[in-house]
Formats: sequence, structure tokens, C-alpha cells
Amino acid sequence: MAHPASPASARAAITPFVAVIPGIELESARLIQLSHITKVFGKVVALDDVSLDIQQGEMLALVGENGAGKSSLMNVLYGLYHPDQGELRIKGERVRLRGPKDAIARGIGMVHQHFMLVPTLTVAENVVLGREPTRRGLLDLARAQREVEATCQRFGFQLDATARISELTVGSQQKVEIVKALHRGAEVLILDEPTAVLTPQEADELFRVARGLAAEGKTVVLISHKLKEVLAFAQRICVMRRGKMVASVASKDTDARRLADLMICGEEGGAGARTLQATVEAPTAAPVEAAATVAAGAEPILRLDGVCAGPKLTGATLEVRPGEIVGIAGVDGNGQRELAEVVTGLRPAERGELRLAGKAGKLDPHEARHRGVSHVPEDRLLHAIVGPMRVDENVSLGRQQQPPFAKGPWIDFTGRRERTEALEEAYDVRPRDPSVPCGRLSGGNQQKVVFARELDAHPRLLVAVQPTRGLDIAAVAAVRRRLVEEKARGTGVLLVSLDLEEVLALSDRIYVMFEGKVVGERPRGADERELGALMLGGAAHG
Amino acid sequence: MIQVLEALLFSTLEYAPALIFASLGAVLSERSGVVNIGVEGMMRVGAFAAAVAALAVPTPVGVLAGMAAGAGLAAVHAYLCVKWRSDQVVSGMALNLVALAGMTFLLESLYSPTGTPSIEQLHRWTIPGLASVPLLRGLSGHSAMTYLALAAPFGFHLFLWRTAAGLRLRSAGEKPAAVATMGISVSLLRTLAVLGSGTLAGLGGAALSTSTLDRFEHHMPSGLGFMAVAAIVFGRWTPLGAFGAALFFAAGNALRIGLASSAPEVLEVIPQGFLLALPYVLTLLLLSTRQRQSGAPAALGTAYDPEAR
Amino acid sequence: MAEPDRPRPQAAASASPGFSGAEPTAAEAAEAPRSRLAEAVWASLPSALSVALSLLICLLMIAITKGSLSLAGNAYLEMLRGGLGDLETFGETGAWTQLTRPWGEAATKAAILTFTGLSVAVAYRAGLFNIGAQGQMTVGAITAAVLGAKLSLPFGLHAAVCVLGAAAAGGAYAVLPAVLKLRRGVHEVISTIMLNWIAISLVENWLVVGPLRATTTGNNSISGTDQILPTAVLPRLLSDGSRMHFGFILALLAAVATWVWLFRTRLGFETRAMGQNAEAARAAGIPSARRALQAMVLAGALAGVAGSVLVQGTEMRFPATLGAPYGFDGIAIALIGETHPLGVAASALLFGVLRAGGTRMQLLGVHKSFPELIQGLALLFVAGRLIWQWALTRRRKRAPAPAAAAPPSSAPPAVSTPGAAAAGGGA
Repeated sequence: MAHPASPASARAAITPFVAVIPGIELESARLIQLSHITKVFGKVVALDDVSLDIQQGEMLALVGENGAGKSSLMNVLYGLYHPDQGELRIKGERVRLRGPKDAIARGIGMVHQHFMLVPTLTVAENVVLGREPTRRGLLDLARAQREVEATCQRFGFQLDATARISELTVGSQQKVEIVKALHRGAEVLILDEPTAVLTPQEADELFRVARGLAAEGKTVVLISHKLKEVLAFAQRICVMRRGKMVASVASKDTDARRLADLMICGEEGGAGARTLQATVEAPTAAPVEAAATVAAGAEPILRLDGVCAGPKLTGATLEVRPGEIVGIAGVDGNGQRELAEVVTGLRPAERGELRLAGKAGKLDPHEARHRGVSHVPEDRLLHAIVGPMRVDENVSLGRQQQPPFAKGPWIDFTGRRERTEALEEAYDVRPRDPSVPCGRLSGGNQQKVVFARELDAHPRLLVAVQPTRGLDIAAVAAVRRRLVEEKARGTGVLLVSLDLEEVLALSDRIYVMFEGKVVGERPRGADERELGALMLGGAAHG
Repeated sequence: MIQVLEALLFSTLEYAPALIFASLGAVLSERSGVVNIGVEGMMRVGAFAAAVAALAVPTPVGVLAGMAAGAGLAAVHAYLCVKWRSDQVVSGMALNLVALAGMTFLLESLYSPTGTPSIEQLHRWTIPGLASVPLLRGLSGHSAMTYLALAAPFGFHLFLWRTAAGLRLRSAGEKPAAVATMGISVSLLRTLAVLGSGTLAGLGGAALSTSTLDRFEHHMPSGLGFMAVAAIVFGRWTPLGAFGAALFFAAGNALRIGLASSAPEVLEVIPQGFLLALPYVLTLLLLSTRQRQSGAPAALGTAYDPEAR
Repeated sequence: MAEPDRPRPQAAASASPGFSGAEPTAAEAAEAPRSRLAEAVWASLPSALSVALSLLICLLMIAITKGSLSLAGNAYLEMLRGGLGDLETFGETGAWTQLTRPWGEAATKAAILTFTGLSVAVAYRAGLFNIGAQGQMTVGAITAAVLGAKLSLPFGLHAAVCVLGAAAAGGAYAVLPAVLKLRRGVHEVISTIMLNWIAISLVENWLVVGPLRATTTGNNSISGTDQILPTAVLPRLLSDGSRMHFGFILALLAAVATWVWLFRTRLGFETRAMGQNAEAARAAGIPSARRALQAMVLAGALAGVAGSVLVQGTEMRFPATLGAPYGFDGIAIALIGETHPLGVAASALLFGVLRAGGTRMQLLGVHKSFPELIQGLALLFVAGRLIWQWALTRRRKRAPAPAAAAPPSSAPPAVSTPGAAAAGGGA
């Protein structure tokens, strides 16, 4: 799809003639031209000779799996990354952006996946940061407030300019980010995975706003890996894979399956597409056996009754039986994290009853492990792995005081190494070396180490929180397969995921959490919209 | 009684400036996100440079030399911590050790082990109206350092909370990523803040050797830099809070010294050691009773890596 | 199938101290795996280079201030003679004291530095920054002085009791910042700085000049506390001409014991894991609070013993003031020694030698605390560790590597100060 590079001089020569000939696109309609962009980080090629044109007023989507380069490309456009090769043209003029300041000055605005807002400051202060109105050398906060309110009104946002960011909901914070860009006169708005933290309803609201902006002549670029969303919103879809631009299609001319093919194999109809299909569309295999195991009326391995913890978990009631996968659906911040922490002993339950493996009583991580709980946490680098330590040292974490990892008070170096080698073999961890610092492994391999270690403990309950986060398609599929295998082995699995698709694909039963309580339980095959409504609970946020 | 209070007021205002300037410097640096416990070292080089320079040039110019010396040491801190993302506590401690041994070395090599030769102290100003008022008389008769130190905290408060630069600085200390994505350089902000903190610490040191005393004495600043750190923690990382804490600590110091000379029998009951320890004990008590919310900037101590996304 | 990696987000809140063990840079990820020994040597290069550079710069400083490079060289020679022994004079006269006396001076200083260095290192490995070694040492020293002067026990036992008492005192004093951190989230850098000054003020400005002041006889006014009884003294090891005492052996034993504890026992492993990633350790069931407390108590005890070594080995009482800021020096020693117990011992030995030599430098007009400057500069350069790594790896040839193994950050990775991320408050 890459546009052939024509020397600038040739273009300059042709343009006057082109202007006269109808039916040929004018240069100036191409608002943005990224040509032959290459960007390398150390040894990883993030962008490999990528070219992309963006038309004024279009609603464009940039899709690809994790690591495909979509965010990197937009970071180049926003001036956060400097391309090693290639050029950028805005309105036909060759431009070198030294930083976001230049990009902003040229009308490019970006709303990042992780919000760039200062929690202790107000909405107005955050919006004007970098463009502060002053009066006689001092900040004119009153004027800032007025200006921000004006921008909000102009584009139809309901925001209180004097509210502190820390007091706002996630959806509102995202709106502040958009206002920030619009306030600076953004003509092009780049949204990086905006719906990752929103409910389906909030996502609909966001797209309504985006369509409204497009109707006003603004250009909106949506970076996403959610194909259904992208097909519904965008006019044109560009697919990236492994740092290359592989396709540009009108959304009406394609569908999810073809896009998946392009994302995974770079061409349509490839065998790899079936992997994505399997994980994205249909529920995974062996629902029948699962039903058989669970139907035996087994005693639940985990039961919660009105459990409260911290400010966020206000009364969870649920149960997990052996041999089933129970999914927890909910918008980020509604208590799921705290739920997982309580079940694994990381957080004490303040009220309510928690029965784990038939026993009640105080729980800490050590006790939880003792009772047969294994935990694959959300952020492995933060919670599961000690980066600078070796793989075999990491494998011993959680059971480091037992054989084969220890002999009395002493570390059993041989036993530890042998067990690690066996696990690396079984889980295909690369590189196959127990003495490598774990932080040097790729994300997928690290997750394998975590799974290997946790499952080697033969748990009765596996708590997996966002287990596929940050992994690419093949690794995601491997993780999901493991979860199903564990279920078949009779382990109870508690799956907490912010990815509703994933929850729907894997779970036998789904609990929806809202504001710290379980507000609904649905079986496999539930309707996504219904779940979304439960996830919002009936309260409307601006 | 009035005389005692007056003497106390006078002494406090004599000892306070060094501490106030150092605390303001620490606030500046830490508000931008860079831990600075090297304030002790920066005060030391400032005191030395000011005292030595004042041997050759007019004392006010010597003060400028002190400020430059403090800034120079701070430049190393900024280079290590901002550009190379080194451990900020280690860098600060290293600078303290270097300043400690380095100034001793220079002192020994160039002058005498106990201190530099005497210099002409900064001129002292009498405020006409106050010279006759009983208690307030204590406000008069100080050098420019004192009066500057009384005004500066308000200036810094204004700077941090009412100017665009201050807003950006505070944001850099809370969430540097937010600042960077608006196209503002976090590195520049932090570097300037650290340099500023060194300048202020150098000024504080100069206050010691040109106003409180008339030379560099081989122990200077004898832990005042660490007391400044206590002051900013006590004052919740705000200029006015640090100002109040510094005044309070300085008053305690003045009280102790005053008692030693005029009422030594009190010191039989309350030993000097107790009074010396008091500021630190109070800070510790305050810290222990405050629940979690200490007021420290959220990104304090974390180096900012623009490539980490 | 090589897995494509996007530029990996750094673990922002990892409590990993920048000086943990043998940790090569990200840029070397693609290198063929080297032997453990090579890795260890490579990892200690920044420290060795820092010391070398510091020695060089200080040499130049003397040359500049005294106006003569040869004088500077001679001053360094005097320093070595003062620490390692006057080999020429020994060769001429055959008098062992030419060697044993300097060795003794070096050993006494090295012993104290080893203990304070171990104190800081142990805490560092547990993810805590023990700036309070000075205060803990002070508390230990006064305890040893009091027990040494007031108790009456047989030789050997008396000394042991004093050492243990000092350890207990130091350990107890370190419990305070530990508890404050665990219960109230008070950052240990701040609390230990406060506690340092509290200890120094209370001991040196009250106890030593007040209740515990040495009883003067006649015209002798001795500063400090009463002399300790001979039964509490740490025995001399060499001839009477040398001050080398048993504390030196204790220091070496302590270094080895600390090494075994940290790297060979399961408790030590848990402590290190906690120091490098507190969250992961907690999730693994490691009782972090307990380990942190244990580590701080151990750190305090080690610093306390440093105090007892000073009192029972050299001074025979608590002097008016401890003299050198041994506690702060411990920070330098620990970090130059890569916070590894054996590295700490090595760097303590080195600086013990240099500092013992400092007194001889006075013969050439260089202040006797000059070696402290070398130490401070070395620490400063060690702080710039990443600069060394960057400079050293630029020159090495890199083989083309499979994408899978390489974390791709082209800038030095973010280094979080251990625990300083929420200075003064909870996370």
C-alpha cells in the first residue's frame, strides 16, 4: 500500500498541472503524509519503512496486534519519537518535529492510553499546562477557567473546570484529555486505545463525540486492536504488522476475519487467522467436559459472602467450584483488583466471610498458598517477577522454603536448578537457561515462567488477573489454552479481566462487578450489551 | 521578660537566614521531583567560597561567589540525577562527603585548620522606627541576609503557586509524563530547580560565614543542611511551611545558646544535648503521627525516563 | 518463532536498588552468555574505575595546590607507607614494627569501616537505605563504654558481653526507623537522618559531658567517659608496637557470615528478593515486614559493633566525639563495594589502608583527612554508575542478536531510588 516516493521537486513541478485536471487528489487534501518512516530502538525495529497518508476530516483507524508499531507511528506524528529515516509532511510542507510542542503547534493532538494528567491539579490547570494565560507575570487562573469552560461548551463536554482530576471518573478524565488537545487548536486528534478503560456505553459516547468532531472537519485517528469497534467507527482502516504497514482498506470493504488475517499473517486467508478467530470469536473448546466436572455438585473451592476490603470492595458474594472458569467482568476500578487481592491474601478482608478450601479465617499470601491458591497477577514485572534475579530464583518464589528449593535453612542450588530446567522444557521457555536474569526474557516468556511456577504448585484455585496483557496473539492463545487445561484438570480458575471479549470467550460463568459489589451472574453465552449495562450499574457519568 | 524575648527574637533572626535559604532550596529541588540531601555540602562550599572571596572583593560580591559555588555543586547533582538518572540519595550523600573532605583539604592547604581569616561582615541595617520600640527592637540591626530571608519565602510561594513556571515545576514533581507530553522539557525544569536549590543553599552557607560569623569555620554548616531537610518535611514541602519550621528550629537554637550564656543553671536541668536534639525529635514525632499523607510530591525520587512508554 | 517485542515499559515502581549484585546493562543482552566470574568482574568495573579515577584526580589536586606533581606523588607514597608499611626502612633495619604498626592502623580503621559498610549494605539489600549507621554506632559505642567500665567480668567474657551489648543497642536503635516505616510509612532516609542527630546530640552533648563524664583525678581533665576495664579490651593481635586488635578478625568473620546469610540461606534469599521487588516478594508469601525489620536490626547491630570495636579496640572509652563520620563513610564503603559483603570488606580494607596513611601525609603538608576526599570522590563516581556502563559498552562490538532476547531501550533504564519514591510518606 506504500505510496511510491516521488522526489519533492517532481511534485512541485506537477502540482500546477494537477490542480487543473479533475478527479485527481490535490496535494493539500492530504493533510498528513508520513513517508518511509523507520524507527529502531536498540535491536528492535519498531517501524520499518512505513508510509501513511491521512486525509482531512477522515475517520481513520490504525490496527495491529501489540508491538505492531501503531503507537510508535503516532508517536512519530506527535513528535515524541524522532524517525531514524523518512519524512513527515503536514499540508504538503516538509516538517521536522522536535517534540510534542511542535506537533501541538501544528494542530496535532494526542490522547494517550495512560492519561497524562496531574492528579493534584484542577481540570483548568491541567488543560492550560504549557499554555498558561498570565496577567502581569502571574497565572491568571480565572481566565484559564473561563477559557476552558468555553472550549468545553463549544465541543459539547460537561466538565467542571475547577474539579480536581483525582475526583473525576475515568471517562471524565479522558474527556479532559480530549479537551486539552482541542483547547490547543488540534485539527488532528489521535486516540490511543481509548476504550481500554471504558464500558461499552462510555465507548459509544466517546465515538459519538469523535463523529461529531469529524463532522466539524477535524480528523480523528483511532489506534485500536478491537476490530468490532474499529469497523463500526472508521471509514478507513490501516493494518500494521511487525513494524510494517500491510494494508489500507475502506471499512465497508472488509470484515473482522479479513482484518485478523492481515494483522497476523500480513495477507488474507492465512492459517494464523484461525488463532485469532479461536480466541476472539467463538468460546474455547471442551464446554461439555467442563459442565460434567462442575455438575458433580462439587464443594466450592472459594466462597465469598459480602466481603468488603478497602474503599473499593464493598460487598462481593460469589463462588468458584473446582473444574470451572469463573470470569469477573467490570470496568477498571470497580473492585476487581481488590477482590483478587483478598482471595490471594494480599489484602485483608474487613467484613464478610471468605471460605477458601473449606476453611475461613485470616488470610495472607503465605496462608493462601498453603491452602492451594496460585496467583498469576496483573503486572508480572511488578508483582510476580524479580527482574534482576535469575529464572531459577524466580521459579522458587512462593515455595522457596520447601524442597526442592531449600534444604532446611539453606538454599538447595542443585534442586532448584533441576526443577527449573524441567519446567523450562515443559513450558518451552526461551532461552532455555535457568541462570539468565528473568527481566531479560520477553514478555511472553516471562508469563510462561510465572505460569510454570504457579501451576507447578498444583493449585486448587488459580487466580489469574489480566493474564494476557501485553502479550502478542500467539502468547495470548497459549495462555488461554493453559487456563482451559487447568480447568480440565479440576482446578478452579478465577479469571479477572478488563477485556470483556476474553471473559466471554473463556468463562463458564461470569460475575459482573460494579462499585465493589457483584451485581449480576450470567452463564456462558451471555449478551455483551447486557453485561455492559450491568457493568455500568445504572449510574450515568458525564 | 521583654528583654529576654527581645534577645531571643534577635538571636533567632541571626541564625535563621542560613536555615531558611537552605530549606527554600530543598523545597525547590524536591518539588520538581529531585531529592536533594546534598544541601549540607552545598552550604559548606557556599560558606567557604564566600569567606574566601570576601578576602579579596567586597563581601556582598563574596556572597555571590558563595551562591555560585553552591550552584556548581548542584550542577553535579543535576547532571548525575537528571541526565543519568542516578540514585538521588547516593548522589547527595556523595556530594556531602566530597564537600566535607574537600573544604577541609582546601582550608588546610590554603589557610589554617580552624578557619579562614576574618572578613568584613555584611553591613547591618537599623530600621529607624523600630530602634526605640522595646520588643520589636529585635527586628532591627540585622544584615540584608535576614531581611531577604524574611521576604524570600513569600516570593517562592508566589512563584510556585501563582506563576506558569511554578505550575510546570510542581507538575514535574507530581507527574512528569503530563508535562512532557505538553512539549515541556522535564529535564530542563528539574535541572533548573536543582541549580536553584544549590544557589540558595550556597546563599545559606554564605549567610553563615558573612553574617552570622565573619569567616569560614572548619565545621560549617555543622548539620544545618540536614536540619533544613527536617524543616521541609516538617513544612510539607511548601515554602511557607519550611519557613515556619526553619524559624521554629532557629528559635530553639537561639534559646539554647542564649541559655548557655545567660542562664546556665537551666541547662543543668535541661542539658544542651536535649535542646540540640529537639528539632529532630519534633520532626520525627510529627512524621510518626501524620497518617500517610505527608505532602511529598508524588514523583519525588523517581527519575524520569522519556523512552519508557 | 521469534516474538516481536514492542519497546518494553520499564517496571516503574520496582524497588530495585541500582547497585544490586552483578547486573549487566540492557545493551549486553544480546551477548553470548559469559561465565559467572567474568560477569562478576565486569560488574565490579565501575567501582574499580571510580576508585582509580578518584585517586588520580586527588593526586592532581595536591599537585595543583602545592605546585608540584612530584610532591603529590611523594605524598601518595607516604600514604601507602602509612597504611601498608615502610618497606624500605624495614628492609634496612629489619624492624617488624615498620610493617606491623601501619598494618595495625589500617586494620583498626578497616574493622570499623567494614562494620558500618556491612550495616549499610545489609539494609540496602533489603531495599532500605540506612543513613543511620552513625547514630547506631554512637549508641553502640556508648553502650560498650558503659558496660566496659561498670561491669566486672572475667577477661574475654567481659569483652564479648560489651560487644553483644553494643550490637543489641545498635539493633534496638535501628528498630525505630524500621517500625516507623512499616507502621507509618515514614521514609527511612529521613527518619535515620533525624535519629543520627538525636543520638549524637544526646550522647555527645549530654551523656558524655554529663552523667557519664569521666571522673577526673587531680589536674587531669580527660574528655569522654571513664576508661573501660582491661578485661573488656579487645586483645592485641600482633606485637605491642601495633594497634591491630581482635576487632579486625571480628570484622572479617562478620563479612563472611553476612555473605553466607545473604547468599546461601533461604532467609537471605527472601530478604534480597524483597529488596529488589517488595511487591513480588509479598505476593510470594514472603513476610516482608518481618524480613525488613530483621534486616534493619541486623544493620543496626553491625553498626553498633562498629562502635564497640572503636571503644574496645582503640579508644578504650567513649571519647568526646567519635571523630570521623564512620557511619556516613559506611555508605561510601558499601556502595563502592557493590553492597556485597565481600566487596565491602575489600573496599574497607582499601580505605583503611589509605586512611591510616593519611597521618603520614601531614609530613608533606597534606591534611590527614585527605583520604576521606578520595573516598568521597570515589562514591560520587560510583553514583554515576550508568555513565561507566555507557562508556564501557560503547566500545564493545555487538553481535547481531535475535529480537527476542533484547530489551530495546536506547537510553539508560530508569533507576528508582530504593524506597525514595515516596519520600516521607506512604506509597
